[in-house]
Amino acid sequence: MDDFEKYISKNKHLFDDHRADKRKIWDAIESDLDKQKTIYLWKSPLLKVAATLLVLFGVFSIMQLYLNSNYNYNKQNSVAHQELQDIDSYYKNLVSFQVQLVKNNTRLQPENKKEFLSFMDELDEEYNTLRQEMTKNLNNEYILEAIVNNYKKRIELIENLLKQINESKNTNTNEGYIL
Amino acid sequence: MKTNILYTHKDIVEKSKSGDRNSQYQLYELYVDAMYNVSMRILGIKEDAEDIVQDSFVDAFKNLKSFRYESTFGSWLKRIVINKSINLLKQKKIPVSSFEQHEYHVTEETNDELTAPLDIHKIKKGITILPDGYRQIINLYLIEGYDHIEISEILGIAISTSKSQYHRAKKKLIEIVNTL
Repeated sequence: MDDFEKYISKNKHLFDDHRADKRKIWDAIESDLDKQKTIYLWKSPLLKVAATLLVLFGVFSIMQLYLNSNYNYNKQNSVAHQELQDIDSYYKNLVSFQVQLVKNNTRLQPENKKEFLSFMDELDEEYNTLRQEMTKNLNNEYILEAIVNNYKKRIELIENLLKQINESKNTNTNEGYIL
Repeated sequence: MKTNILYTHKDIVEKSKSGDRNSQYQLYELYVDAMYNVSMRILGIKEDAEDIVQDSFVDAFKNLKSFRYESTFGSWLKRIVINKSINLLKQKKIPVSSFEQHEYHVTEETNDELTAPLDIHKIKKGITILPDGYRQIINLYLIEGYDHIEISEILGIAISTSKSQYHRAKKKLIEIVNTL
C-alpha cells in the first residue's frame, strides 16, 4: 500500500458525509417486518390446512344455498306454471269450441263470419306473441294480464256474435207469429 | 481479542434474533448512518440508498438466525447493503466494473505519482468524477476495505480483472486529483 492508499484508508471516516433519515427508514422497516409476520402466520402449514378447509366449507355452503334456492324457485315456478297451463288450455278449448260453433252456424252471413274470424285471427296472433313473452318471463304481471284480456276479448266477441244470432232468430220467430 | 470484536453487540444481536423490536431498533441506530453512506457511495441517489438500507435491515433481521459471528454484525450487514446496491446498479444497467474501452484510454505515459499534496477533499471530488466502473472498485478497495478476492465475488469478475482494474482506476484518480 503506497502513501496515497494509506492516506485514504486512514481518513475513510471522512467519506461518511451523508446522514440518513432515520425515522423514515425505520418506519418503513417496521411496517415491512410487521407484514412479514402476517405472511409467516399464513405460511404455517396448520393454518394453511385450516384456511383451505374454511374456503372449501364456504364454497360448499354457498353452492348448497344456491341449489336450494334454485330448487325452491323451480318448485314454486312449476306449480304456478301448471296452474297457468290449466287455465290456458281451458280457455283455449272454450274459444275453439265457440269458434267452431260460429263456423258451423248456417244462419250467419259469410261476411259476418269472415269479419269475426279475421278478428279472431288477430287476437290469435296477439296471443302467440304474449305466450312467447310469457316463456321468457313467467313472473311478468303485465303479460299475464294481457293474456287474460286477450281471452276476454275473444269471449266477448263470440258472445256478441251469439247475441246477434239469437236476436235474428227471435226476430224470425216473431215474424212467424205476426204472419 | 479478535473474538471480542466478532462478538460486538452480541447481547443486542441475540435479542434481535428472538424478534425483540427494541433491540432491533438499537442495532439499527448503531449502523444506519454507516450503511446509508456505503449505499450512497455506490448509488449516489438518496432515494435509492434509502430503499436499499431499508431492504437490507429487513433482510438482516429476517435472516439474523443464520448469523453465526463469523464476522462482525457490521461487516455482515455491510455485505448485504453492498450486494443489494450493486444489484440495483446492474438492474439499472449502470456498469459496475470498467469496460475494456476505458482501459485503453489510460495511456502508458500517465503519471501515477501524486504531484499535488494529499488532500481528502480533492480525492473525494476526484472519486465522483471517475467513470462508474472505476469509482466502484476504488470505493470497494480503498474505502470499504475489501480485498480483490472479495471484490471479485461482489462484482462478479475475475480476481486478476479486479487487480488490473483497480490499478487503472487508481492511476486515473491520481491523474484527476493532480489536475484539481
